[in-house]
Amino acid sequence: MKMRKILSLGLAAVMTLSLGSALTVQAEQADYEECTIKFAWWGGDSRHEATQKAVDAFMAKYPGINVEVNFGAWSDWEAARALEFQSGTAADVNQINLSWINEFDSDASVFLDLNEVADIIDLSQWEQVNLDMMKDSNGGQAGVPVAMTGRIFYWDKTTFDEAGIAVPTSLAELREAGKVFQEKLGDDYYPLALGEFDRMILMTFYLQAKYGKAIMADGAVQFTEEELQDGLNFIMSLEADHVIPSIVTIDGDAAASIDQNPKFISGKYAGILEWDSAAKKYIDALEEGRELVVGEEFTDFGDNGATGVFSKVSLGFAISTTSEHPKESAMLINYLLNDPEGAAIMGTERGIPESKAAYAVLDEAGSLDPVIAEAHGKVMAAAEYAEEPRFESNDLKGSEGTYKYVFGGLSYGEFDTAEGAAELLDGMNAVFE
Amino acid sequence: MKKWAKNNIGFFFIIPWLIGFLVFKLYPFGSSLYYSFTDYNLFKGIKETGIMNYIEIFTKRQNREALMITFKYAFMTVPLKLVAALFIAYILNFKLKGVNLFRTVYYIPSILGGSVAISVLWRALFKDDGLIQQMIRMLGGNPPSFMTDPNWALFIICLLRVWQFGSTMVIFLAALKGVPEDLYEAAAIDGAKKWKQFFKITVPLITPVIFYNLITQMVQAFQEFNGPFIITNGGPRGKTTLMSILIYNNAFKAYDMGMASAMAWVLFVILMIFTAISFISQKYWVYYSDEG
Repeated sequence: MKMRKILSLGLAAVMTLSLGSALTVQAEQADYEECTIKFAWWGGDSRHEATQKAVDAFMAKYPGINVEVNFGAWSDWEAARALEFQSGTAADVNQINLSWINEFDSDASVFLDLNEVADIIDLSQWEQVNLDMMKDSNGGQAGVPVAMTGRIFYWDKTTFDEAGIAVPTSLAELREAGKVFQEKLGDDYYPLALGEFDRMILMTFYLQAKYGKAIMADGAVQFTEEELQDGLNFIMSLEADHVIPSIVTIDGDAAASIDQNPKFISGKYAGILEWDSAAKKYIDALEEGRELVVGEEFTDFGDNGATGVFSKVSLGFAISTTSEHPKESAMLINYLLNDPEGAAIMGTERGIPESKAAYAVLDEAGSLDPVIAEAHGKVMAAAEYAEEPRFESNDLKGSEGTYKYVFGGLSYGEFDTAEGAAELLDGMNAVFE
Repeated sequence: MKKWAKNNIGFFFIIPWLIGFLVFKLYPFGSSLYYSFTDYNLFKGIKETGIMNYIEIFTKRQNREALMITFKYAFMTVPLKLVAALFIAYILNFKLKGVNLFRTVYYIPSILGGSVAISVLWRALFKDDGLIQQMIRMLGGNPPSFMTDPNWALFIICLLRVWQFGSTMVIFLAALKGVPEDLYEAAAIDGAKKWKQFFKITVPLITPVIFYNLITQMVQAFQEFNGPFIITNGGPRGKTTLMSILIYNNAFKAYDMGMASAMAWVLFVILMIFTAISFISQKYWVYYSDEG
């Protein structure tokens, strides 16, 4: 009995030792330090879920690296992260917007040049042209793009069925839908709901398609005040035709965002113009039984069949220069974006991945989300312009920004489109000063 | 040395407070005064110094509007809250059946304080098609859009603070209890009616407490943030943007710390002026029993 006890204790000790040495070997092979790194991202519930799973899988694959996560909704996310970047307390790995490179990293001191960890992050998985979009002022690689994106219409087909019409494929059909909705379903029903920034994007599509030039390019606004007024008139005509609810109506709903607006959830607002990568949260928000379908980019803004659509880097991953563990942070990024296991778990929660390796994994497994894949395919096929990062500058897009002031002011009847155009042009010019 | 330590031992006990005061009060106070004379941007640093922020505060339409809205908010909220608190305290001072239950019930909103949850609830109540609108419609009325009508939007934010009158009420209640019963008895014998007793006896005797509540409520009102930030986020069209929200937006959305500091100082000076006026005016209307 005693001998058996000694034997089992000995065996346990041997097993413990070999497990320990196995871990050491694994750690040595991978050549990383045991450490804790922080990872911060914003998004909706489904993105949070997938990312947390991927982080858990990463920690299982690399024992000893502990990843602390910080995630939340977009609302006020930027302000909180900005303070962290400024105070040097930012997470090691950050999900970033393209505009953050200009705004927070203008002297290339906030985000690490990823070329320094190019032996860990396989940068060859990205097209150089897309990597170039995330370069800092010193030519360093401030981040890697997770996905490209653009805006496209999504329609609540259930509401359109109730109205007895098909989802619109052109501007003319959309205008007609406004009338039908009001007559058949009532004043509360609109085929499309647009907040202030959404209005700016649709107006940009309209102007770029009609006039055949980018709204911002070569460090300047490319449209005159009169042309911008034409765009504002176009937006206000949609409001007048009962195509979109006024900003007053949307403000009265007191919802933090369209996907949290009961009128969208119940189908009264039956359409949105959204990033192709963001579809999931809108689909998840809808009442059970409602069907959100991907629309078409319109080609009848002008006479030339142009869409005016622009695309951009939807978001990227970057490492803070203050990170004490850039290598392990790079391992996490590489795992999430290039590793077959990580990429499979992350799926299309941030859009169709730009990394060739991740795309191949998802494509082979047939796990490209069909809605996102369809939307992405349509956006990329229709995209005629690349977004100038300053188009989304905080001074324009923020809660006190020009877009909100101009489109809200028009909708509230505070001024006319001539004054609105002057304000808009002033605000847009200011971001280039 | 021993004697010195003995005489100054008190300083050692207040060191934690002293450190807290220096680091978290005095330093930010001083540095914000300095920043208010700069164009300090979190990400661009300081490029210019001068009084440009102060000039902009009083010349830019948006800033002037925020100042006016802050005054409006304070001048609506403070009197309404004081009157409501005094009125309820007066009633609850009577020997009524179940008065303790009522005291507790009226105090509950104050326990909830400036909580985010209550602001969210307020938003849900007053939004279009919210409970309040539905109730008005049920009664045959045509309700306004509380969230998008500028006057109503400001009013519902005031209402939230007025509703939370419990703490002020408790202080009034304590003061009312301190008014000697024999004064009322004498007045009653002389034929004074209740309302006359209230204005001629109760109010004069509780003026020190009214003064105290006035000062504290005024300070709170000028610093109000949570309610308007969560319920309307300064909207509609900036019509509920109080100075505190503008300070927040400048500091944490535009990263313009210079402007935010200047605004904070303007707000501080405004509060100081009102407080000083209140203190100066007290000799005309506040009665202290020890003054004879």
